[in-house]
Amino acid sequence: MQRNAVSMMDARLRIDVDRFSARVAGSIFSPAVATLALAIFLLLSGSATSAQSAHIPHGTLELISENSAITPGHDFTIGLEFKMEHGWHIYWENPGDSGEPPHVTWQLPKGLTAGEIKWPAPRKMGASTIVNYVYDGDVLLMAPIRVGADYSASTPDKIEAAVKFLICSDQMCMPGKAQVSLAAPAKAQGGQDAGTAAIFAAARARLPKPAPPNWKVSGHKEKDSFVIDIQAGQPISQGYFFPLNESQIDNSAPQVAASLPTGLRLTLRKSGELTKPIGILKGVLELPSGEAYLLNVPIKFAGPQ
Amino acid sequence: MKRSAIFSVGVFISAALFSLATPLVFSAPKVGELAPDFSATASNGKTYHLADFRGKFVVLEWHNNGCPYTRKHYESGNMQRLQKEWTAKGVVWFTVISSAPGTQGFMTADAENAYMGKMNAAPTAALLDASGDLGHLYDAKTTPQIVIINPQGVMIYDGAIDDHATSDASDIPNSKNYVQEALTSAMAGKPLAMSATRPYGCSVKYADASH
Repeated sequence: MQRNAVSMMDARLRIDVDRFSARVAGSIFSPAVATLALAIFLLLSGSATSAQSAHIPHGTLELISENSAITPGHDFTIGLEFKMEHGWHIYWENPGDSGEPPHVTWQLPKGLTAGEIKWPAPRKMGASTIVNYVYDGDVLLMAPIRVGADYSASTPDKIEAAVKFLICSDQMCMPGKAQVSLAAPAKAQGGQDAGTAAIFAAARARLPKPAPPNWKVSGHKEKDSFVIDIQAGQPISQGYFFPLNESQIDNSAPQVAASLPTGLRLTLRKSGELTKPIGILKGVLELPSGEAYLLNVPIKFAGPQ
Repeated sequence: MKRSAIFSVGVFISAALFSLATPLVFSAPKVGELAPDFSATASNGKTYHLADFRGKFVVLEWHNNGCPYTRKHYESGNMQRLQKEWTAKGVVWFTVISSAPGTQGFMTADAENAYMGKMNAAPTAALLDASGDLGHLYDAKTTPQIVIINPQGVMIYDGAIDDHATSDASDIPNSKNYVQEALTSAMAGKPLAMSATRPYGCSVKYADASH
């Protein structure tokens, strides 16, 4: 989902006014005038959070918030919104045969802590011998923010992220580095930001879900492969397994999917880089419907007797 | 065809059997097996034949001079240090450029010679593999990926240059360099601590990268 042009302009304008008010406050205008200007502006813009999109190689990056203000004791979600030109991609948590996932260093006001990034299901991309797990187009990498009950507005009241990433096309790769920020004032009540609600909803829909409770997932090792069985109570015709850890399965080997009367069997070739036996194979199973599930597959040493 | 004129592949027999059936998903050479033979033309105009280097250690270093991970090791001087140290100890070091024409890192012979001069690079030679045949023969996936072949012609290492899969040169002093470790151990007749690691970096920019 795209943010509309008006709200994007709002965001940029807000930044300019914030800067203006900060500058004039210390100069010839009285603080009261500046405060009034800011108040009028905030009234016009209708939202209190402000973000600025950064230019990155072949795209933009913006830090956005699901809530329009920070409320003490109420956790909320922020997200790094990458918008990439056609033909360019960034990488999933496990990038596959090459590449590197984005790295974020948060700089947060006192009283806020950031949780782990929630990675949407990636897209498999690749030639026959090099396979990668990527995002292209627009993607929102969400992170939960914990807000202490005693959180109070501090100065500067700003959430910042230093982001490092690799962005590639089929022909080349470029390093990306950006500093993005979001001003979010503390308020007694901070509801959902209408301008970003749709983006967050769309991003949540792309997150892998926990496996349904009625599923039974098991796996065993064969000479060159892992065989995983998903008993789901009904046949599943197809599926693709995105490994969460590197060097466990061979990314470029074709995955063999066989429909079972009550589920799906996937045969995955072991990685040549696998040096130790693994007890659990973690990954994301994507079904033809586009639904994605987190799987923790216990691996037995021998096949079913 | 031009590519067969500059490049001929004498594939190790078992690999040939696989490659006949499905050329692009054939079983990649594995550590512990004989390294597939090749001959390739370098930027210095000479042709190098792997089989001629029996009795020496051979390093293959996949290279793309625009790739941020390759630049990490060249702009810091790390790669050149390794090249100088080990070629001085008798190792044959081939930089391999498998970028297709029009992709990042593709080099003509003249451009590569100028680049190596500017960077003080010191490999034995830079092999120009624009067809990607040598890259595919070794199933090279990234730049920089490193393969080490022992004096008996056996592949003893395949993987990353070090244990920090980043493009940040400030990580180099804190990294365990697998090439340094592998060559030091192998020359001392000791087993290698790590012989197959996940190579990191940019994907090799093959002509047939169809996404």
